[in-house]
Amino acid sequence: MKSENQKPYSNPYLAGAMLGIVLLASFLFLGAGLGASSGIARIGAFISGFIAPNHTISSEYFGAWGDQPLRYYLVYMLIGVFLGGLSSAVIAQRLKKLVIEKGNAVSSKTRLIFTLIGGLLVGFASRLAGGCTSGQALTGGALLLSGSLIFLICVFAGGYAAAYFVRRQWDD
Amino acid sequence: MIKTFYGLDMLNSGSAFFISLFIGFFFGLTLERAGFGSSRRLSGIFYFKDMTVLKVMFSALIIAMIGLSFFIGLGLIDPSTDIYFMKTYYGAYIVAGLIFGVGFVMSGWCPGTAAVGMASGKLDAVVFLIGTIIGSIFFNELFSIIKPLYTWGQSSQQNFGQEGLAFVYNNLGMTKPVFAFLFTLIAVSCFWGAEYIEKIKSPAKQNGVYLNTPFLRAFSLILIISAGSLFLFQDTESTKKQITGTQEMISNHSEKALLSSVALAADHVEPEELADLLYNKDPQVIAIDVRPAKEFNFFHIRGAFNVELPDLIQFVKKHKDKRMIVLYSNGMTHPAQARDSLARIGFKNVYLLTDGLNGFIERCLKPVSLRKEPLPQAMTHRINMWRDYFYKPESASTGLLTKENGNFSDISSLLPGFLDTNWLALHLEKN
Repeated sequence: MKSENQKPYSNPYLAGAMLGIVLLASFLFLGAGLGASSGIARIGAFISGFIAPNHTISSEYFGAWGDQPLRYYLVYMLIGVFLGGLSSAVIAQRLKKLVIEKGNAVSSKTRLIFTLIGGLLVGFASRLAGGCTSGQALTGGALLLSGSLIFLICVFAGGYAAAYFVRRQWDD
Repeated sequence: MIKTFYGLDMLNSGSAFFISLFIGFFFGLTLERAGFGSSRRLSGIFYFKDMTVLKVMFSALIIAMIGLSFFIGLGLIDPSTDIYFMKTYYGAYIVAGLIFGVGFVMSGWCPGTAAVGMASGKLDAVVFLIGTIIGSIFFNELFSIIKPLYTWGQSSQQNFGQEGLAFVYNNLGMTKPVFAFLFTLIAVSCFWGAEYIEKIKSPAKQNGVYLNTPFLRAFSLILIISAGSLFLFQDTESTKKQITGTQEMISNHSEKALLSSVALAADHVEPEELADLLYNKDPQVIAIDVRPAKEFNFFHIRGAFNVELPDLIQFVKKHKDKRMIVLYSNGMTHPAQARDSLARIGFKNVYLLTDGLNGFIERCLKPVSLRKEPLPQAMTHRINMWRDYFYKPESASTGLLTKENGNFSDISSLLPGFLDTNWLALHLEKN
């Protein structure tokens, strides 16, 4: 599946340094850090509002976002993330046509079911924490917020605890 | 001094959307270049096979921390007004972190990286994002049940006038530079440890290649020196101005009564109460901004008078028949000291604003859409009403008394940012 001319990934430390500078720019221009899960949740609110408008606007959590949940800066940031990722993948010739990444030991179906459940948990947990690895762990970590660092530690605690049970996904 | 979109309360304006899109673009670009468009690579950290996640995330975190500390240390940005901080809810975050971790390792994705994965054509990333959207909708549907969990374990710390805003160096009893330095040392040790683990665990060509290279040594050294140089900055939060000239007089008003009113918090006015009183233009209520004229002219609560501490007694004397005189500053220290001093002299109608101007903005003026806690409809309505009122430019007739200090200057010509929204709307459209 690997393309012949696919370029190697960046030096992780330099990529990290660049990400740090992007985060710093976000602090200095926007006054808020990076975020991804809020944008996704607002798409959820939009869909929910499309299906059941009255129910959504009167619900306590989504209702506070008003009838135009997509008018929010993190929705635009999420669009930017997609476009940036796309540009980089095209330049580095890493763009694939709908492949499923997995080890040979599991079927595509198993892998996608695991992914869907994982997505559900992450979507729910991101709302409970008011952010994900970007908005809570990375951004809050750089601000040295107690809650963000506790969240970061617990993400890895949960991940390492569950890793053994889902390891077959990556076995070849 | 940098004014951010958050500080100007314009995070949901067209120009902020454009900047967000731009920043997001580079965010996505960097994630893809780091290899985070691949779930195999992301999940590698949980099996100690590929520690890229740790290297990239920890480098980014440390560099942004040091960079921002420099900007704050040099006085280029005011964190108390211009940076958005999330509050700390220990219980909620511990539960959320554990669930998130399980979801992360099951899918091999997190929200930001999955957006990049989708852009790289990964079907599992698309499925993950659908799951995340459904998970968010579930959260909304279950919100009435999980509400107590959502705000469980709020930190008792208070910073910048915001309750529950907690910094980890305060928990550990360290100063910020000390913690930042130690944190950087931990990061550098993790980098070396990660290279070592990769080398022994998975001796493929592309793993652990930076171990003991001149590059990693130089990178480590640069981080440590930069973090160490943060010690050069004085702790800006501790350099508070002294109150000058407030004469202390002993009166028959007993200290005991004063202290008990402090204990009962009978000397406080809550921001919401003040907002309502000013909104209704209660003639028996006066708000006094005790900050320097420069800060007052930049932004103040609509209808407030600017009286600096030395002139306060004179001013309060003139209004001793009013029902309520409310003092405020950015925080609470100066108004509290001034109120106690005035109470000693015998003025019993003086109060201070709980959480100061910062609290007033946070509790009454922060847009509903930016709040962590969802609010009942009635409160949303009140906030929108206050925002309409307090962000309107003042007519010349209010705040006239500021001229008494001789410091009154035309606000809109000084800085068009905060008050004159019409001006902004006009000029933004031109761009």
